[in-house]
Amino acid sequence: MNLQETGAERAFRAEVRTWMAAHLRGDFESLRHASGLGSPGYEPALAKRWEQQLAAGGWTGLGWPRQHGGRELPLAQQVIFHEEYVRCGGPGRLGHIGETLLAPTLMAHGTPALQARFLPGILAGQTYWAQGYSEPGAGSDLAAVRTRARIDPDTGEWVIDGQKVWTSWAHESDWIFVLARSEPGSVRHKGLVLLLVPLRQSGVTLRPIRQITGDAEFNEVFFDGARTEGALHLGAPGQGWAVAMYLLGCERGASTLGQQAHFRAELEQVVAVAKRNGAARDPLLRQRIAHAALGLQTLRSHALRTSGDNAPARAASIGKYLWSNWRRALGELAVDVLGAEGDIAGEDPLRQALQRLWLVSRADTIYAGSNEIQLNLMAERALQMPR
Amino acid sequence: MDLSLSEEQQQITDSAATFLAEAAAMPAVRAASESAEGLDRALWRAMAELGWCGVHLPESAGGLGLGLVELVLLQEQLGRRLACVPFFDSVALAATALRGLPDSPLAQDWLERLAAGQAIGALTLPAEHGGAACADGLPSAVAAPEGGWTLQGGWPQVGSAAMADVLLLPAQAASGETLLLAVPADAPGLRVRPLATLDATRRMAAVRADGVNLPAASCIGRGPSLDALFTQVRQLGAIALAGEQVGVAQQCLDLTLTYAAQRSQFDRPIAGFQAVKHRCAQMLVALESARSAVYGAACIADTAPDAATLLFHAAQARVAATEAAQFCAREAIQLHGGVGFTWEFDPHLYFRRAQASSQRLGASPWWLEQVAAQWLDTPEENP
Repeated sequence: MNLQETGAERAFRAEVRTWMAAHLRGDFESLRHASGLGSPGYEPALAKRWEQQLAAGGWTGLGWPRQHGGRELPLAQQVIFHEEYVRCGGPGRLGHIGETLLAPTLMAHGTPALQARFLPGILAGQTYWAQGYSEPGAGSDLAAVRTRARIDPDTGEWVIDGQKVWTSWAHESDWIFVLARSEPGSVRHKGLVLLLVPLRQSGVTLRPIRQITGDAEFNEVFFDGARTEGALHLGAPGQGWAVAMYLLGCERGASTLGQQAHFRAELEQVVAVAKRNGAARDPLLRQRIAHAALGLQTLRSHALRTSGDNAPARAASIGKYLWSNWRRALGELAVDVLGAEGDIAGEDPLRQALQRLWLVSRADTIYAGSNEIQLNLMAERALQMPR
Repeated sequence: MDLSLSEEQQQITDSAATFLAEAAAMPAVRAASESAEGLDRALWRAMAELGWCGVHLPESAGGLGLGLVELVLLQEQLGRRLACVPFFDSVALAATALRGLPDSPLAQDWLERLAAGQAIGALTLPAEHGGAACADGLPSAVAAPEGGWTLQGGWPQVGSAAMADVLLLPAQAASGETLLLAVPADAPGLRVRPLATLDATRRMAAVRADGVNLPAASCIGRGPSLDALFTQVRQLGAIALAGEQVGVAQQCLDLTLTYAAQRSQFDRPIAGFQAVKHRCAQMLVALESARSAVYGAACIADTAPDAATLLFHAAQARVAATEAAQFCAREAIQLHGGVGFTWEFDPHLYFRRAQASSQRLGASPWWLEQVAAQWLDTPEENP
């Protein structure tokens, strides 16, 4: 155990701060503190330019191996980057599906040719990815996917038919990875393939889903004879399930430490409102705010204790359950702190942020494995209780 | 930055777990908890021989020179077994206080004996520092003309006092200043009355001093520095107690998993029912997050942080571990079904400990209010 920051780590912190101060300005000023798509001031084209600026500064692929163009930084420095990034007002990241989900899966399961083709675009902030997993009939039961993929014998291309849903940011993405059934008549986990499919083609139709916040970050994606090259599959055709699960492991894993810097900023917004409107003097709200502050510290301690864990399935499910329920409770606290004012849609940016947090955080315990799925995973994998 | 256990720390955990599985098995715990004294002397001697009583104390005092993290790891294993020994009171509280009184030869003398496990100490804190409130305020210490002190008054609830060799008792001088007095258990005029406790695995006693005359050197601490020491002892003690609560939570989960695997209803083990599985998984979440909180807090405490940081992390450990111990103990009873309500099965012993521990050194609402003050009572900032 060791929580002392080394001299090198302190220097790295200062380096991030200096770079952010020098670059998050001018054209990028409107992105400052914007949490992501749907939040005021977050213009997608500008956000992509910001990603490219980050890449040029060497702030993408921090944990990637050097052979793939990454910086291979230790976890502590990755955490420091995320902390300082948020502290300096860095906006929500647009490229994280590519950078933190697809890229590690490409490194583990992709051919050198696929790695060489796709990793540089992700690293440079040039190529954006969407995730094609869930379907109307396959949510928590992901193995029920029905989207079909077959090889066109004339062209050797994959031809895809079916529908995906809850696809984040598909309208701002260039490519989508699609879990599809490549062996007709196969059931459940067998006979699946994970394909890399260009989104901008005539066989793909996007339909935005208006969500609980009123925004439309999610899409339905319809594949109607959509095509991709024959070589663009991750892992062997028929073995897609294992690859898809590897990718989900990335989602539940290391990325949570970076999130916590955002969570802290959100908690500070709640505190700011409580001080402003007098909720800070309410004895019960005081207890809840304190509880949230302690809980956030515990998320951090938990991540630092388990990030090098040799039982990642156990740690990852616990971590996901912890942070998502913490943040959902923070959303509830946020509107309770607002009080009656919380019902009034308004121009005040702080109030808007808390209202948005309240609604957005309802998704946290549903996506990336719902609370109920996480509890099943913990019971069956960590506690070895019977299925 | 890393909060996983080092190889040495893992070894301490593993060897303590192995040792206590045998030395503090449930029949021995039940026997000790039902005895008049409530102390397993053989176990206490064995722990002393292993050096545990000086785990976090300096080598100059005969301790092992390790940190709060290692103390927490032992506490965790002792909590799992509800071991009937005064480790928390004597080592985590009394010895920690004595360690902070280097100017008192008497304190250092007792510290060495406590570190060696040759003597048992009991410390009670003034009410404003988390001790049980005395009905008529803090007892008085009247300075005798020839030097020395006369102690008068009562401390209603002192942990492990009836088995202690030395009692560390706060009292108020005529000047209003708070003193800490080291009082031998056999001092004439001192009465230590054992109390029947709902948690029989950790005993309490009421202490009463009726004109107890003590030499001047018995006053081992006083004034503002004593106040700071009390604050620190409460915070370090809270983290140590939280370690024990993690052990309580762990054992509640383990007992429940074992029971659920062997209890069959509707022709299958109840462990296969999702209603049971989800509750066990929620126990795991509470347990593991509390463990992270406590290890993190102990690790911070070992870096000699400033007072506000130590307070925040003590609260973190304390609140998380109290929640985990109480939740897991409640669920253990519920998931054991009817037998969970019996004296014979163990969950009620943990349920009792979880409640008793939750009230020591300040309950969660007090800790939460301290953190609320840190976050909310600072000058308004423009967001």
